[in-house]
Amino acid sequence: MVHSVTTRDPAELIGRIHRETNWGFGRRTRHALASVIARAYPRVIGAAREPSWLFFDLVFPILGMCSIVFLLRSRGVDEAWIGSTILATALLSFWISVVWMMGAQFHWERDSGNLLLYITAPVGLGSIALGMAIGGALGVVIRAVIITLAGVLLFGAKYQVADPLLLMLVIVAGVAAMYSLGVCLSSVFLISGREADHLGSLLNEPMQLLGGVYAPVRSMGTVGVVALGILPLAPAIDALRQVAVPQLATTGILPVGIELVILVVMTIIFGVIGRSLLSYIERVGRSGGRLLARAD
Amino acid sequence: MPINVGAPPAVRPFGPLRGAAADAARSLVASARLAWAIEGNWAEPLYLAAFLIVRPLAFLGLFLAVLSIGGALNVSTIGFVVIGQAVFQIVSAALEGPTHALLDDRERYRTIRYIFATPSSLLPVSVGRSLVKAIIAGFSALIVIGAGVLLGVPMRAGGPDLVLLLTVLPLGLLSVVGLGIVLGGVCVQLRNDAWAYPQAVSSTVFLLCGAIFPPEVLPGPVQSLASVLPITWWIEGLRRALLGTTSPGILGAMPTSELILILAAGTAVIWLFSPRLFIAGIDRAREKGYLDRNTAS
Repeated sequence: MVHSVTTRDPAELIGRIHRETNWGFGRRTRHALASVIARAYPRVIGAAREPSWLFFDLVFPILGMCSIVFLLRSRGVDEAWIGSTILATALLSFWISVVWMMGAQFHWERDSGNLLLYITAPVGLGSIALGMAIGGALGVVIRAVIITLAGVLLFGAKYQVADPLLLMLVIVAGVAAMYSLGVCLSSVFLISGREADHLGSLLNEPMQLLGGVYAPVRSMGTVGVVALGILPLAPAIDALRQVAVPQLATTGILPVGIELVILVVMTIIFGVIGRSLLSYIERVGRSGGRLLARAD
Repeated sequence: MPINVGAPPAVRPFGPLRGAAADAARSLVASARLAWAIEGNWAEPLYLAAFLIVRPLAFLGLFLAVLSIGGALNVSTIGFVVIGQAVFQIVSAALEGPTHALLDDRERYRTIRYIFATPSSLLPVSVGRSLVKAIIAGFSALIVIGAGVLLGVPMRAGGPDLVLLLTVLPLGLLSVVGLGIVLGGVCVQLRNDAWAYPQAVSSTVFLLCGAIFPPEVLPGPVQSLASVLPITWWIEGLRRALLGTTSPGILGAMPTSELILILAAGTAVIWLFSPRLFIAGIDRAREKGYLDRNTAS
């Protein structure tokens, strides 16, 4: 009984709790970073250990890409559009990952019981979401590269990248903005019930259309301009098309530099909104427990 | 002393049906009602209607946007894509339906073991679930065709060819439901990504069946695959019934009577084998204990 907390001086106990829980900035940062790496690890390593995931992650986009390419060929359009379709499909694999592996992830974790562990663990949901985003993006890079190579080999697409650094910037900014939006989506999916799966479906084809994935966003008129300001896919694809397929540069709705700025602003805004939403959900989840109940 | 179990309980009639047929029909109706409760009752009617409208229209819009590349959209030539894309909504739902129903029951609701313990066969249960999914997708198809009409797609003068439509529609629906239950019997054996296989098959069929582009665009050997798929001829038959014109290329070269014959023969072959393959797959899954596992995939 000597070591029981009930026999200790309450003031000493309170002081100890304060010392152990009032972390400084450095310790909090290190802890958050460790949490991010821990959550990113299974996204990269786990994905590599399951070849069937890689297979299906490649088969679906490649089949979709083939459909669009054959449709374009049946209409006899400029071959530059085939190169654009291949790049768009590669970038789309990040969007699919954002919808299902970021947006829907907490919803699935709740149904499988893992969310309870996240909520009760001394780790913020923000760190977990950032880890999912970084791990997810790294995991999708290899898929995007394979899709691009497959497209080039199957359809003989050619690219003329005058500024590789700009191309990298566009891809990184586009991916960051998409995953930042994914953090917001994860909160929306979490408060959805049985609608979550259908919500995921709604974020595929409609967003591909609004994002001007296969056809220039310019063809959407005013809707396309609005999409450019709120949907990361739109400026990312538009900029990518201008940088990697110069023959289609005239189809761009805005200069690449401005689209880069839009993507950076989106990353910040969606990140802040997503962080706030997750904090709210974490608070409600810890206090009420309502968000931890299975949707079905 | 032997136990006298008495006469087996009589199966209640179901309309004009008696015996095992009545039992199967009752299971089919019950599973169809369940499928409606799952597929059509997951949201407020307004939200459900929006979902049924938005996604197929976006899908159509995506293809129309692609068709508008390199010039203005010529509505007189997009009927091919509109009908193909509309009908494929049904194909996709019917192909994926039985597998998703079986996996949902096994892994999500964990009820398949109880269904299996009842006197009902899983075959009518799966057919019922698949048919309802196909019918719901049919609403989406109608919406897509309606959007095409609003866009100015020239339809058949004097309305659809009802005789052709009523001949081709049930044949094609039966063929895709038959293929769907075969997929269900196969996928219930799988541990990893069983959910994804039907979608992979559906995406492949979409590429092959001339839904949005003529099969001539495909590489030579793949064209032969397209021509043996009943779905290719189903979509073409529906195009002829609704648009009143034949498609360009090899699809249009086939006389309508031969097209119906091929579709009927294909459907008959599918239904000759699909129930047997489904039952064999389910029996194997039961023997191996696959009906009572959760793959967490």
